[in-house]
Amino acid sequence: MIPTTNLMLILGWIPFLQPAGSLGNFWWLLMVPLILGISVAYRATHDASIEQFWKRVFLFDLKSTLAMGSLAVAMYLFVYWVIPILQTN
Amino acid sequence: MTNDSNQFDEPLNWGAAFFTWICPGLGQIMLGHRRRGFLAMSGVLGLFLSGLLIGGVDCVDRREDPLWFYAQAGSGPIAFAADWANSALLKTGKVGELIESPPSNPRATAPLVSSFKTVTVASEIGTLYCALAGLMNIVVLLDALKRRPIDRGEEGGAS
Repeated sequence: MIPTTNLMLILGWIPFLQPAGSLGNFWWLLMVPLILGISVAYRATHDASIEQFWKRVFLFDLKSTLAMGSLAVAMYLFVYWVIPILQTN
Repeated sequence: MTNDSNQFDEPLNWGAAFFTWICPGLGQIMLGHRRRGFLAMSGVLGLFLSGLLIGGVDCVDRREDPLWFYAQAGSGPIAFAADWANSALLKTGKVGELIESPPSNPRATAPLVSSFKTVTVASEIGTLYCALAGLMNIVVLLDALKRRPIDRGEEGGAS
């Protein structure tokens, strides 16, 4: 059940002219379709053959997402664990 | 070694590269690589339209964000059309309304901005989507420049 306020916002939204509603703390999930678009365009031009195109796109997307996720985790650990330890010493 | 020198000897497809800038993937389609062209088109246009959907046309602004626009312009006329829509519809108040925003200089008059102007994280993400679409179209354009045209008979296997 969508709350009435949110429903009003969705109904009043003009696509392409107004920004989409905020995803709150989940904005980083938009990284997945971003990488998908990049991998479709990259694989379409880079590969000598486009046999098994979508499988290669999926693997490229998965690897890139995992790499970006790993970097985010490493940054989180550095900022919230390593820096406080350095400050106390 | 022989293959490398042959590769450099081949003429560049300037026409296909130009048409790829006009419409992503069109150069590959003209060279006979239909499937490859449509896939590249779906990737680039998918990114650009997703950016506009997330951040609105305010994400493409030639005057306020010129550096971002240089990257976005790689997508071709669609970027200029989005910039025109931003200037002609939002900034004039034809769509939405113009409201006063806090001036950067307290002595200056408050500038008027569109009520549809994006100030949330959606703006940054939309701008990034459109810029990456432009940069990916440059990759597609360079591919069209160097790609060998194929005859209709070869189409099924090569593309």
